Amino acid sequence: MTDTPPSGPAPMNIRPAKTPVMQRLALVWIVPIIALAVSLGAAWQSYSDRGVRITIAFDNAAGVQAGATEIRYRDIRVGLVEAVEFDEGLSTILVHARVDQDIAPYLDADAQFWVVRPDVSVRGISGLDTVLSGVYIEGNWNTTADVAQTNFTGLNRPVLTRANQRGTTILLQSDNAGSIAAGAPVLHKGLEVGYLEEPQLNFDGSGVVVQAFIEAPFDRRITSSTRFWDVSGFSVSFGAGGVALNVNSLASLIEGGVEFDTIVSGGDPITDGQSFTIYSSEQVARDSLFVDPSAEVLRVAVLFEEAVTGLVRGADVRFQGIRIGEVSEISAIVVGEGNEAEVRLQAVLDIQPSRLGLGADATADAAMTLLSDFVQRGLRARMVTGNILSGSLFVELAQIEDALPAIMARTSGRYPVIPTTESNISDVAATAEGVLARINALPVEELMNGAIDMMDSIERLVDSDDTRAVPSSVIALLDEARGLVGSEDLQAVPAELRSVIAEIDAIVASANDADLVTSLDNVLAVAASAIGNIEVATRNLPRITAEIEALTIRANQLELDALVTSAASTLDAIDAFVASEDTRALPGSLNGALDELRAVMADLREGGAVGNVNTLLASANAAARAVEDAVSTLPELSAQAGRLVAQSETVVASFGERSRFNAETLATLREIQAAANAVSALARAIQRNPNSLLTGR
Amino acid sequence: MSARTAGLVACRNCGQVHQIDTARCKRCDSPLQSRDAQSLQKVWAWLIAGIIAYIPANTYPMLLTSTLTDRSESTIIGGVIELVDYGAIGIALVVFVASVVIPVGKFVAIMYLAISVQRGSYRNQHGRHRAYDVVEFIGRWSMIDVFVVAILSALVQLATIATINPGIAAVSFALSVIFTMLAAQSFDPRLIWDADRTIHD
Repeated sequence: MTDTPPSGPAPMNIRPAKTPVMQRLALVWIVPIIALAVSLGAAWQSYSDRGVRITIAFDNAAGVQAGATEIRYRDIRVGLVEAVEFDEGLSTILVHARVDQDIAPYLDADAQFWVVRPDVSVRGISGLDTVLSGVYIEGNWNTTADVAQTNFTGLNRPVLTRANQRGTTILLQSDNAGSIAAGAPVLHKGLEVGYLEEPQLNFDGSGVVVQAFIEAPFDRRITSSTRFWDVSGFSVSFGAGGVALNVNSLASLIEGGVEFDTIVSGGDPITDGQSFTIYSSEQVARDSLFVDPSAEVLRVAVLFEEAVTGLVRGADVRFQGIRIGEVSEISAIVVGEGNEAEVRLQAVLDIQPSRLGLGADATADAAMTLLSDFVQRGLRARMVTGNILSGSLFVELAQIEDALPAIMARTSGRYPVIPTTESNISDVAATAEGVLARINALPVEELMNGAIDMMDSIERLVDSDDTRAVPSSVIALLDEARGLVGSEDLQAVPAELRSVIAEIDAIVASANDADLVTSLDNVLAVAASAIGNIEVATRNLPRITAEIEALTIRANQLELDALVTSAASTLDAIDAFVASEDTRALPGSLNGALDELRAVMADLREGGAVGNVNTLLASANAAARAVEDAVSTLPELSAQAGRLVAQSETVVASFGERSRFNAETLATLREIQAAANAVSALARAIQRNPNSLLTGR
Repeated sequence: MSARTAGLVACRNCGQVHQIDTARCKRCDSPLQSRDAQSLQKVWAWLIAGIIAYIPANTYPMLLTSTLTDRSESTIIGGVIELVDYGAIGIALVVFVASVVIPVGKFVAIMYLAISVQRGSYRNQHGRHRAYDVVEFIGRWSMIDVFVVAILSALVQLATIATINPGIAAVSFALSVIFTMLAAQSFDPRLIWDADRTIHD
């Protein structure tokens, strides 16, 4: 066996110990791994955050730049334009943009886009920042996410109503858009509560419709009975109150505006899109409230003989001061035939039966019956000056007291005819001139002087000692009378009467012989006649006052000029009368008469002649009553004079400060002055601050 | 003959020569290593990180310029093209060289060095060493772009009229430059010559 073992140790295959991969790897590899992770993460995030691409088609995209123009929503950037290009056919410009992902779901069918550019209008300047920063695209959409869209059509001008703005959109209709422009304010009691959108022709081209947005909470003020009227520009109106110049805000002066008010309560609440009419003025709007367009209208004709200059279509028809309709037509018609033919001016009146007090659903026939009944009782039509400055007329249906009998002619012509009466047309110039001339001609100074003189005289009369003595004399007289009645002699009368009678018998008997009775009779007769004279004299006193009364009544009834002169002369006469010696002597003679009476009574008492004592007392009583009457009429006389003066004063005063004409003239002048002041203030304000024209303040 | 074969090791920091088993430099206390075994790994790691950082530096905007009327973002290449459009060819050239040619050249140079060392190539060792010197020297100047951006951003801050802000690219570019410099520094040039010795020994 040649099995030789190996001669030496087997060669060793020595290899270095394999170090683990992890140990061989340098720690520095972490750096590129982190860099890669960060880069990949950033790339992925920027890809996933990439906005949604939308396309907006504009007619005019002036200033829109790719990569620079932003899309903003409520002034916050939500996207950026990426590309701008024309579509096929070059008709529109397509703006491609990316909007933020969280915004994209809200871009549904209601989303609107427009390019914001600088806009200088009367209400101010908007978008001024875009002058420097370039234009941007503004978006407007509501906050409910619907089916998202990516293709939109841009608007040519900004929408005024932003989504989620609380308020109500209504539709206004007007004859023309001459006074309204987009953005014009909607006012309510002077507050700006909304604005108008772009006016558009209505579907048949007969008028203009414009959407108006009324902000909450003012939209609650609008009900179905709300009326809108035009407040654009300024209005000058000549009315009974004078000249009125109404100027609203400068913006509404140029852009127009619409004001509304809910004049009567009880309207129904409105919904979005409710339609209203714009009336030409506040007055028309207010009047329209009382006119139900669906109500029946009674048409009657009125034939005027005089010229109807100043009467226009639309003029009021008034009945007892209330407007019951309007003049709808004015024309000339021929009345009669042959030689008797003459031209009359016919005015057709549209009368609202409801305004006659017949209730809301009154028919024209009911109104006709009522009117013909009135005509039989004297209702006549006439023209009345409505405004003395402008000379405008209206038709009045007035009740004429002494009207000739007439009936409403139903057969002649197309309409029943209301008979006319003389019109009450005043020519302002002539009237005013005449009034002024007459005021000038009034002897106001003399009248006043006369009144003052009269008052002086009355005062003197009342103050005179004689007048003051009258009451005391009367008291003395009454005392005398009481004394007489209470005297023992008189009380002894019954006792003595018998003896007297007996004596009388004797006297009568002896008188028969002597003429004693006759002479006593004479004495008594003289006394009685004296008392009678006094009575007559005192009775004349009331008659004088009665005459003065008559005189003053006449004075009251006199014509104006005559009144003033006769009042003056009356005052003179009264003055003369009061100042005359006779009048002054009156109390004196009254006293004398009383003295005489007293003397007579004393004589009587002394004479013991009681036979005619009853008649005597009665006469004395009558005399005393007459005196009393005379005295009692004195205050009445002065009161009468006072009334006269007061009436004179009224006459004078009616031409003085408080007269209506004067007040109106003054008010007119004052308002013209105020208007002039306002215009000059406006001019001054604009001169001082010309850019207020731009800023609207 | 190299220091290693002579049993010596030189300090890379101060040049002091020690025995090969010395752990730290006696003069400057920096660690001594005859050959860095992980050198190439580090080079590759930093280089890849630098290349990764260089991508956003070119795709994202370097400068965010907003003036009163305009707001623009410009990338490096975009800025160069803009400058050429304006006719400023010289400046465009400077920017292009500093921002594109040099960084890319550095990537290429470092990659070439690393690959050649890995392959144990012994050709043109002098040229490669010079290339390494150039890469190391030029590295610090690559930051010139970042400095321009930093200075502009600091100077041009006129509120709304004009502002310049650095973009993401500025940071990325700075990182890229830093990573590239670290890659260059991680490269042990002695490895170039080791290949030569392997062949001749």
